[in-house]
Amino acid sequence: MVYGAWICLLSPLAAAGLITAGGERMSRRAAGYVATLACFVAFGGALASFIGLLGRDGGQRSVISTAWTWLAAGSYRFGLEVIIDPLSVFMMLVVAGVGGLIVAYSIGYMDGDDEERRYFAYMSLFVFSMLLLVQGGNLLILLAGWGMVGLSSYLLIGFWQERPSAIAAAKKAFVMNAIGDATMALALFLLIKQANSLEFGILGGEYSSTVANLVALGLLGGAVAKSAQIPLHTWLPDAMEGPTPVSALIHAATMVTAGVYLIVRTHAIFEQAPKVADLAAGLGAATLLVAGVIALVQVDIKRVIAYSTMSQIGYMFLGAGLGSYANAMFHLMTHAFFKALLFMAAGIVIHSLAAEQDIRKMGGLRKLMPRTYWAFLIGSLALVGLFPFAGFFSKDAILAAALDHGTYGYILWVAGLAGTFLTGLYTFRLLFVVFWGEPSAFVREHFHALRRDLVGISMASPVAVLTVLTVIGGWIQFTPWWHPVETWLRTVAEPVVSPRAWQEWLSIVLSLLLGLSGIAVAWLMYGARRVAVPRFAFAQRTLEHKFYFDEAYDALFYKPAVQLATLLRRGVEEPLIAESTRDLGDDTRELGGLVARAQTGLLRTYALAIASSVAVLAIVFVAVK
Amino acid sequence: MGPGVAWYLAVAGFLFGTGTLGVLLRRNPLIVLLSLEIMLNGANLALIGFARNLRDGSGQIFALAVMAVAASEVVVGLGLVVALNRKRITLDVDRLNTLRG
Repeated sequence: MVYGAWICLLSPLAAAGLITAGGERMSRRAAGYVATLACFVAFGGALASFIGLLGRDGGQRSVISTAWTWLAAGSYRFGLEVIIDPLSVFMMLVVAGVGGLIVAYSIGYMDGDDEERRYFAYMSLFVFSMLLLVQGGNLLILLAGWGMVGLSSYLLIGFWQERPSAIAAAKKAFVMNAIGDATMALALFLLIKQANSLEFGILGGEYSSTVANLVALGLLGGAVAKSAQIPLHTWLPDAMEGPTPVSALIHAATMVTAGVYLIVRTHAIFEQAPKVADLAAGLGAATLLVAGVIALVQVDIKRVIAYSTMSQIGYMFLGAGLGSYANAMFHLMTHAFFKALLFMAAGIVIHSLAAEQDIRKMGGLRKLMPRTYWAFLIGSLALVGLFPFAGFFSKDAILAAALDHGTYGYILWVAGLAGTFLTGLYTFRLLFVVFWGEPSAFVREHFHALRRDLVGISMASPVAVLTVLTVIGGWIQFTPWWHPVETWLRTVAEPVVSPRAWQEWLSIVLSLLLGLSGIAVAWLMYGARRVAVPRFAFAQRTLEHKFYFDEAYDALFYKPAVQLATLLRRGVEEPLIAESTRDLGDDTRELGGLVARAQTGLLRTYALAIASSVAVLAIVFVAVK
Repeated sequence: MGPGVAWYLAVAGFLFGTGTLGVLLRRNPLIVLLSLEIMLNGANLALIGFARNLRDGSGQIFALAVMAVAASEVVVGLGLVVALNRKRITLDVDRLNTLRG
């Protein structure tokens, strides 16, 4: 069991190292195979750990395995530890499983790219970082994984380094994440000072409310940045500059879910700081609404899905903030299935249309690529949360948890329900615009079907697997009747809320109805085109500018910084520093000119000078004597 | 015992003064070099005079060393003068002022 966990952690790292060391001696294909194999080996390791844990009693299901002392500073010792408990195994399965499918898909998607080897090395590194994050046996290792995820996402988003927009997006993601890393590091410093340790066990200790609030806030800051929640969400849509499988990996299996994992892992501290937990839930609710609304007007197929990710992570934050940990994790898993499915199906669409991502140029693809259409349809239905697809089982449980949280909970519940309607609307807007209607001129000109060779197979089979998972994956848990996920995670994170049956059913019925009405509205406007799409110039503009978040950050942080720098240049650098060095140089030169005048070049002057000096010396000598 | 040290010094001073005047006043580098030699010889004479007076051989050894150095210096100096002459450059130290700052 312990070996399984270590194999799971190290095999992607080994693959990254092997591909890097192999260089050009390894063919591009082989690099893809190595990375894929490593991910599936990791999945096997995770399965072994899972089976190992199943064989134990509930109370014994938490093992920490230490490889060696990683860092010793003064009296602090931090081991290189992995934790094997229900939560980490749950995440290992999701990360390695979905990650492996995505890497397999990449073999086809990236076929023919100039730098496939670099791509697969980065992908393996990414999977390793994420596994380190979820398996880290103490908060320090978790933070190390956290930082490495940031690094690998930076590398992958900026993978097409010849595009300036990709580089800008990568930098943006990195900076936004660094803000979260910083707040998280501060929280850890505070913990070290209070508890002298960073083991997970200390989170359950007694802290004064100030300390608990500050630590929880710091951790929340990290989670918000990594999971792209308001107000640190602006990097996520831009991260679509990376290759599509990267988007799938960042959005579905890894990275953005890390924030949810962090909250669940450190839930003990959040339970001591209920205000911060409420804040997390509130941010989740705000994000799911804002992202849902913005998604309505986006025209880039990947950006629409990106905003839907933000929105769904908002649901997870809502659940985790309310203390409904198992449901948040369950939604994380089902979301990994259907979001990876949507991204990869969108990737096939993009691949077939010569890298075009603008949905206004698409249309009528249903007839040209029926299987992709079905996969996309199933993914969309799961995203909206319709029975019997995966999203249905997980999303409604989160909404029901909101009902069990007093007045504040009702507000969140309404927001979540509104989000369901929006989800139906924007998801099916995308589906209808891209797949329904007659093929557009652009599609007729550029469409080429997926080839039936290795490229096509490697792209189609993960989509098929995920379609199946999206259909059956949700059945694992249906909260009113059976809840194995909750039972499984109970030893790690005991849920704080326990919604009653009527709350469950009310949420289920209402969210189904709202989701369906969202789809219906989308059908009227975009499918059947019976109703003209309402246009409000102001709203349209606001949404196209994504509520002016980027502009606000520009005005708040970027512009003042630039102005301060300009001011310093004009007020300090130029008059004081540049001027003074220039003066210093001028003066030295002038002095040199004066001295140079004594240098006549005439031998007799020199001789006279020597002679007269000697004479003066002699006189002085005699006089003093 | 011969003349006293004062006489030696007088002759040495006279030689040194003559040499100095020659270095300062003459323009021909050849003559300047010759005057320099006269100055050195004046100094040598003073050294030897003191050596005799103090009955100490060190002064004489100094004089020998000065002669050796002076010989080398003359070799270089004359070589330069010959080189200047070959290049048809006027032998006038006042016009050789290329090193002016």
